[in-house]
Amino acid sequence: MRATTKPFAWRLGAMIAAVVWPLYAAPAAADEAAEAYIQSVLDEAEPILGEADDDALFDGLAALVDKYVDMRRVGLFTLGQYARQMTAEQKEEYLPLFKEYATQIYQNALSNYSGQKLNVKNSVDRSERDIIVNSRIADARPGDSFADITVHWRVYRDREGKMTVVDAGADNVWLAIEQRSQFTSIIANNGGGVKGIDALLAQLREQVGS
Amino acid sequence: MIVKILVAAGVALALSATASAQISDAGDPEAFAKELRGAEPDPLSSAGADPWEGFNRKMFAFNDAVDTALFVPAAKVYRATTHKKQRKGIRNFLANARTPVVLINDLLQGEFKRAGETAGRFVVNTSIGFGGMGDPAERIGIPQHSEDFGQTLAVWGVPSGPYVVLPFFGPSSVRDGLGAGVDTTLDPVFWISTPSARYTGYSRAGVTLVSVREPLIEPLADIKKNSLDYYASFRSFYMQARKREIANGRANFDDLPDIGDFEEFDEIE
Repeated sequence: MRATTKPFAWRLGAMIAAVVWPLYAAPAAADEAAEAYIQSVLDEAEPILGEADDDALFDGLAALVDKYVDMRRVGLFTLGQYARQMTAEQKEEYLPLFKEYATQIYQNALSNYSGQKLNVKNSVDRSERDIIVNSRIADARPGDSFADITVHWRVYRDREGKMTVVDAGADNVWLAIEQRSQFTSIIANNGGGVKGIDALLAQLREQVGS
Repeated sequence: MIVKILVAAGVALALSATASAQISDAGDPEAFAKELRGAEPDPLSSAGADPWEGFNRKMFAFNDAVDTALFVPAAKVYRATTHKKQRKGIRNFLANARTPVVLINDLLQGEFKRAGETAGRFVVNTSIGFGGMGDPAERIGIPQHSEDFGQTLAVWGVPSGPYVVLPFFGPSSVRDGLGAGVDTTLDPVFWISTPSARYTGYSRAGVTLVSVREPLIEPLADIKKNSLDYYASFRSFYMQARKREIANGRANFDDLPDIGDFEEFDEIE
């Protein structure tokens, strides 16, 4: 009797495990293609971040941002509900201004990682089109100021399957979200709508010019 | 002593008031709808969601002036007169001295593993870490973390309430401001009123100030320089970082604005 119960219990256990295990073992859905995409961007960034010369570093970063970040999409995102209220002329002026402004922000943020190499660690897909890829500093020693920082990349996959970067952040603080908070606040505090957008454009012009 | 008990009682009273206000809101559909709106990914993207913006901007300007005139120069003197390693030691010491507050909040949040880490770190760092100046616990794999009562309230489900900029203390929320008050009373030093304890309290506050401000000299100057609206920029950075602290650093990408927000522009061309 004993001899048969034990295997039965074991088999039952195995059956339950077989059903339940995948529920726990299923990794947080990852997207390998997006991970490979970001890794290739990071590989391309490595020699640029290794530049000793500041001008070469900043120019290289600007070229990289231009190549991979979809500034038009990000620029419209940062306007929030006001994106639809823009006149055609405003839009024509806004997009290049935004690109210049945001490129500066990216340059500043990324130059902090000068001399470092970032590697993809994992990814989380919020949807098929919307993937967060996480990266970490390679070979960080515990105690290094960067050792515990996760740098996130938000990858957007368009209908044709082409991937672009639409936001970047560190430790859950995102750039485009912060920019949207600023821009919508400026527009709202200057009368909203077309008038508010004019005020934003004036401030952007000033900032980019300086 | 009586004053201190009154402070503690006042904080407790204010807390129970927010708690009961929350309960009375529960059945009100309008309040519920408001809360739902408040749960939007970036509640501060619309101007209406920072109801005290006028006051906050004034406080922010005041704090910025005090910061520029006093705190930054003090932090620069601190940087000039200490070595990097000393500053690291002081940071460690201050974090170690805050152990009781962190430990109580770990326990109140039901984070028993983290409570164990906090207690273990205290023992290791206070003994072989020379009274907390060193951080050998980090090297043996018990990383530092911080907690405060505002986070505990958040874990308990208390909503943050409006964003508020407090004079001298800077950005906070109604919940986190109250939490900071509670944390003060959780600190054993608060309850001792000998002159030397008071002296200890004041000097610790002063050293904490320069020690926290010093590594932020350049990053904050950068944000100020790069932002069109320093107030809104700071608010967003603060809110995003705070959300992460409350989640104890666990990555949470659920409440990001939807990618649809990026996508919908495909039509406007």
